[in-house]
Amino acid sequence: MTQATYKLNQLQHYYGDKRVLDIDGLQIQKGSITGLTGPNGSGKSTLLKIMAFALKPTAGEVWFNGRREVPLSPRVRSRVTLLTQKPYLLKRSVFDNIAYGLKIRRDRDNLDSRIKEALASVGLSYEGFAHRQWHQLSGGEAQRVAMAARLILKPEVLLLDEPVASVDTKSAGQIRRASLTARKDWGCTLVIASHDLPWLYECSDTQISIANGRLFSTGKEHIIPPPYDLSQKKGPVKWIGTKGKGEYILLPPREKPDGFAVIQQEKIRICREKEKKTGWDNQITGEITSMLMEKSSHHIMTTFQAKNFSLNIRFSPDQAAALKLLPGKRLILMFHSRDIEWR
Amino acid sequence: MDFIVAGFIKAIELLINFDHSTYTAVSATLQASTCSMLISLGAGLPCGFLLGYFNFKWKRPLRTVLDTLLALPTVSVGLLVYAFISSQGPLGQFGLLFTLTGIAIGQTILAFPIVTAITASIVENIDPELKLTLVSLGAGKRNIIMTCLWEVRYGLLAAAVTAYGRVLTEVGISMMVGGNIKYHTRTITTAIALETNKGMFADGIALGIVLIGIAFAVNISLSFLRKQ
Amino acid sequence: MHGKKLMSNLLAGVFLLVLATNSLAGEKGLMMATTTSTDNTGLLEYLIPHFEQETGIALKWTATGTGKALKLGQNCDVDVLLVHAPPAEKAYIENGYGKDRQEVMYNDFVIVGPQSDPANIKGKSISDALAAVKSHTAPFMSRGDDSGTNKKEKLLWKAAQIPLPDTEAWYVQTGQGMLATINVAQEKKGYTMTDRGTYIKYQDSRGGNAPLKILVEGDEILLNQYSVLTLDPANCPKAKYDLALKFSDWMASASAQKLIGDFRLLDQKLFIPNAK
Repeated sequence: MTQATYKLNQLQHYYGDKRVLDIDGLQIQKGSITGLTGPNGSGKSTLLKIMAFALKPTAGEVWFNGRREVPLSPRVRSRVTLLTQKPYLLKRSVFDNIAYGLKIRRDRDNLDSRIKEALASVGLSYEGFAHRQWHQLSGGEAQRVAMAARLILKPEVLLLDEPVASVDTKSAGQIRRASLTARKDWGCTLVIASHDLPWLYECSDTQISIANGRLFSTGKEHIIPPPYDLSQKKGPVKWIGTKGKGEYILLPPREKPDGFAVIQQEKIRICREKEKKTGWDNQITGEITSMLMEKSSHHIMTTFQAKNFSLNIRFSPDQAAALKLLPGKRLILMFHSRDIEWR
Repeated sequence: MDFIVAGFIKAIELLINFDHSTYTAVSATLQASTCSMLISLGAGLPCGFLLGYFNFKWKRPLRTVLDTLLALPTVSVGLLVYAFISSQGPLGQFGLLFTLTGIAIGQTILAFPIVTAITASIVENIDPELKLTLVSLGAGKRNIIMTCLWEVRYGLLAAAVTAYGRVLTEVGISMMVGGNIKYHTRTITTAIALETNKGMFADGIALGIVLIGIAFAVNISLSFLRKQ
Repeated sequence: MHGKKLMSNLLAGVFLLVLATNSLAGEKGLMMATTTSTDNTGLLEYLIPHFEQETGIALKWTATGTGKALKLGQNCDVDVLLVHAPPAEKAYIENGYGKDRQEVMYNDFVIVGPQSDPANIKGKSISDALAAVKSHTAPFMSRGDDSGTNKKEKLLWKAAQIPLPDTEAWYVQTGQGMLATINVAQEKKGYTMTDRGTYIKYQDSRGGNAPLKILVEGDEILLNQYSVLTLDPANCPKAKYDLALKFSDWMASASAQKLIGDFRLLDQKLFIPNAK
């Protein structure tokens, strides 16, 4: 088996007193495409920066290709690159921006033709763009140039932090294509953080969710996010809709003062409206608001919405057929509070 | 009022006739200010960078002290330097009093905090995305520092121009340390002070115009650098 | 870092170069501290090139007030002094700072004021004139800078038995040189005490028709004696005593004395040579 490109061990990161990352372990395989989803502030960007070796974690180890590495280590330099959400270019021409990484490696052979190739891979013409200055580009064009500047280095790992969130559709398409071509052409490992679920489900081999700095397998387990109401006699409660009225999820007693509630997908029973069953202390009614197909497995990734509470539930093709899943379909989720863990 | 007009005419006369005292004053001014600028930039840019880039325990108090030094009155600096280079002072044996070198030393003390403080501010405000981008493209420590400084080059230029302006126009140091010796340490500013004190206002204005002309010439050549 | 090393080498080079050129100049040169009146009148500009030519000694001078000039000599920052404050000079020698004192020239002090003469001091003796100024509380401009002129002025008040009007509103202490003080007096239509040399220069710069006129002159106490002071080698071993002595002798020599007498503006002598 090929060595894992990344192995993250007991990784923790703090900004001041606030803990933003708490990862026991994560492995990324060489040549894989990993999708990373999570709300803003979940620690996505911090994780990617640490993986890009641009940030030293407060605690824990990052192993790259079997060796423990730290920022600015010569073995990871220009092997791992990161593309951020906001397009950022150096204050120079497009040509010089793309050539920068090569120039500092003193790699000046065939510069012109390689830059032409890099521009072509993101759909920009050499004649039209090579000599433009950094301020003469649209957001999408700038992001494409930034992408080209990284691709020209033929990195082993390409980390993308919401790469197409701020760009126009055409540029978004170019960037997506270019990243997949990188994987195809030289086996580049991709880790993509994005809200663009259709794209992620279409191209990625694995998906990870991150929330409050912790990792979860998307679809296999669900976070019941805070805030939690600890004042109720029956136990800790998560209100759905207005606090104090209506539906709620009953949670088991909590030991530690922090942490949040997690339940495994397999502990949830899902039925159609008509078939109500008893024996569960939690029954939540809601509807399917979106359905997407995962390319590799043909599983269906759905979003289940009950007032302001939502879950991403993964169904096998058979389950989907049995439930006659459609967007807008009402379902009932049934689970027991004792199956909920505090993490 | 009429001395202002007379001043303009006198300025042209002095320059066209290559008036010796005027040209030696210009030369003295340029020598002292260029020397002090080179040194304060050479020391101030790296110091400012270090101060702005890194976080350490004494950073804030140091910045406060530095910012306070921006308001140093030039006569006070002159007095301070005199105390050191006078023959009674610790550096007396170098014979720096009444020399352009002495003036340059004082002007360096004046310019250094300006360059350092402004550079530190600029570096602190560098977009964090810049460092991220450079690391992503494989830059090592040295390249990161050099490229960061190059990216903010226009801001650094402003720091240099500000310091240069202060140095070019100061009188207190040149007077106290230089002694306003004609043909030797008389700078344009001390010459202006002298002429004005003597009541020769037109001459004072004329020299002032020459000084502004120099500053203008320097700034024009710098603006060409900016264009690129 | 390569660039940084280059830079620091460059800077060291520049510094040393400037240092070297300066010390080269210092070898056969004399540094003098003098007062604003000898400098502002243009006398030194006219006189010193002759000294340099005849003796081959380069002379540089800095013009400050007498107080500062004496201090510079005390600190051994200069080699020789040309000042005009006889009581202070004599005390200087007694205190071991000065060595030789050579009287070289004199002029006199005068009281100048506006033509209208509001305090009516014209033609009076100096003591009566000052008393009149005080009783009229007419604006009076003083150098206020402990210069030779200022010391003399304070002496005049003392001789007139009037306490120094230090805090009075009509007594304006400019803290500046003689010409600057005359200008303030002109602006405020006030009186001031000045040496005749500077007054002539002032008249000359206004084409001979300046608003302030000489109103009081001639009293013996108004004598303004200029002398060259060498510094005591015991206090300043590094001062160029022998060159200073040469300068002192030259100033008293026949050629210098004639040059001093020939220095005129508006066809008037500014200084009268009186070396013995």
